[in-house]
Amino acid sequence: MLVQFYNVSKIYPNGVKALDDISLKIQRGEFLFLMGPSGAGKSTLVKMLFREELPTRGQIFLASRSIVRMKRGEVPRLRRNIGIVFQDFKLLENKTVYENIAFAMEVVGASSRDIKERVTEVIKMVGLKGKEKSFPGELSGGEQQRVGIARALANRPLLLIADEPTGNLDINTSQEIMELLFNINRTGTTVIMATHARELVKSAGKRVLMLEEGKIVADNPPGELVL
Amino acid sequence: MRPGSIIYFLREAFKSLSRNRLLSFATISTVAISILILGFAVLLTINASALMNYLESDVEIVAFLEKDLTKSQISDIKQDLTAITGVKSVNFVSREKALDKLQESYGGKEYNLKETLGKNPLPNSYEIKADDPHNVSKIAAQVKKIDGIYKVNYGQGVVERLFKVTRWVRIVSMVFIVLLVFAAVFLIATTIRLAIFARRKEIYLMKLIGSTDWFVRWPFFIEGVFLGATGGLIAILVLAAGYGSLINHMDALFFLPLVTNAKILSNVYISLLICGAVLGVLGTWISLNRFLDV
Repeated sequence: MLVQFYNVSKIYPNGVKALDDISLKIQRGEFLFLMGPSGAGKSTLVKMLFREELPTRGQIFLASRSIVRMKRGEVPRLRRNIGIVFQDFKLLENKTVYENIAFAMEVVGASSRDIKERVTEVIKMVGLKGKEKSFPGELSGGEQQRVGIARALANRPLLLIADEPTGNLDINTSQEIMELLFNINRTGTTVIMATHARELVKSAGKRVLMLEEGKIVADNPPGELVL
Repeated sequence: MRPGSIIYFLREAFKSLSRNRLLSFATISTVAISILILGFAVLLTINASALMNYLESDVEIVAFLEKDLTKSQISDIKQDLTAITGVKSVNFVSREKALDKLQESYGGKEYNLKETLGKNPLPNSYEIKADDPHNVSKIAAQVKKIDGIYKVNYGQGVVERLFKVTRWVRIVSMVFIVLLVFAAVFLIATTIRLAIFARRKEIYLMKLIGSTDWFVRWPFFIEGVFLGATGGLIAILVLAAGYGSLINHMDALFFLPLVTNAKILSNVYISLLICGAVLGVLGTWISLNRFLDV
């Protein structure tokens, strides 16, 4: 079991109840869609996995370690096992494609030889060979998201979290990004993807978790059509 | 820390310095001005303190001896005086010497006091200095009790007032310097916060990718030390040049003793340089911590 949530609730200081008694298990190697309307709690749930938010109540485990009880100094180790893909890519505009990806390895103190080898590898994996020296501003949205995914993969994470990764992309580009994520999942990386895009989810045949007002309203196993 | 990381930190720090030239310049200027004011205050305080020491060290007790004492009685009194705790030195001034001194203060040979007076009216005396000038009144009280001494003089009243003034000058200047340091830290922190704010996305990313707080901090600290020390250096150059020319001009104009001791001055300048670097780091620390809380 890679991820376990036990009776997790989150109430923000302003009184908003983002999550309400969530219990959930995710296996290693699984691909999970997280669906639901805006404000259903998808982002909060995802942020708890890399401890940007802490639950008000309940326990969360990643690879059998409690994220809630973890000390501040242990958080970097946790995060090195998680790759994060953002809706707005969050690329550094003044760094090239290569540098953006290398950045993720530099900041965890990887050696320059490892960096060179791995960055070349993930650039090939996401299909950006030849674009190493381009700056984010020179790339299309789909290409920028590929850089974002390559950066998330650089440190060989156990878990890839994608929060609305196709939210800023058109439908064809979204399909390509989905293919890329499925491929990554096939190599053994667990993927959690929060999304609004029903079309993508429908055709995927993966496990789908529906959230509404902070509660799980449906948990459809792989292959079962939703909606 | 791995050597590879140190190179990375240095490279990041200097990349950021050259990328944010305007903010770097603003920070250096802020530090330079702060250190300049601070240094000015420190030099002022040191000189004020030297002047106070000078004035205080001038304080002495004069014990006038009774007439017709024998030589052995006079030396007995000296022993009694030396035995009083807190006495630094006891100096015998014969009535002849006292008259010579008086003669001198009246302007050399124009008026011959000895001839005018006929005979010497002055008594023998002892000049007594205390280890700590603040104790003169206590010592004077004990001196008075010794047989053979008919009068004790130490500038009663004036001395107490002098000490009150010197105490206040010291307190006020210390408070002033502490306030200046606080103002400098605040000013520098504000400027550095602008530089950090421009890179908050990068810091956020670093934290989410799993870099430690220290990994994020180091390049900023190196930057802070560099900016602070550079600003400090500029301030010291201006200060040293200004103070140097002041010494040259003051010498001819005033009787005030300016501190010119090279060792004291170089200590002041080195401290100010370190102070600049520390201010840079402190400013960075204050501004950065908020952005690390991810």
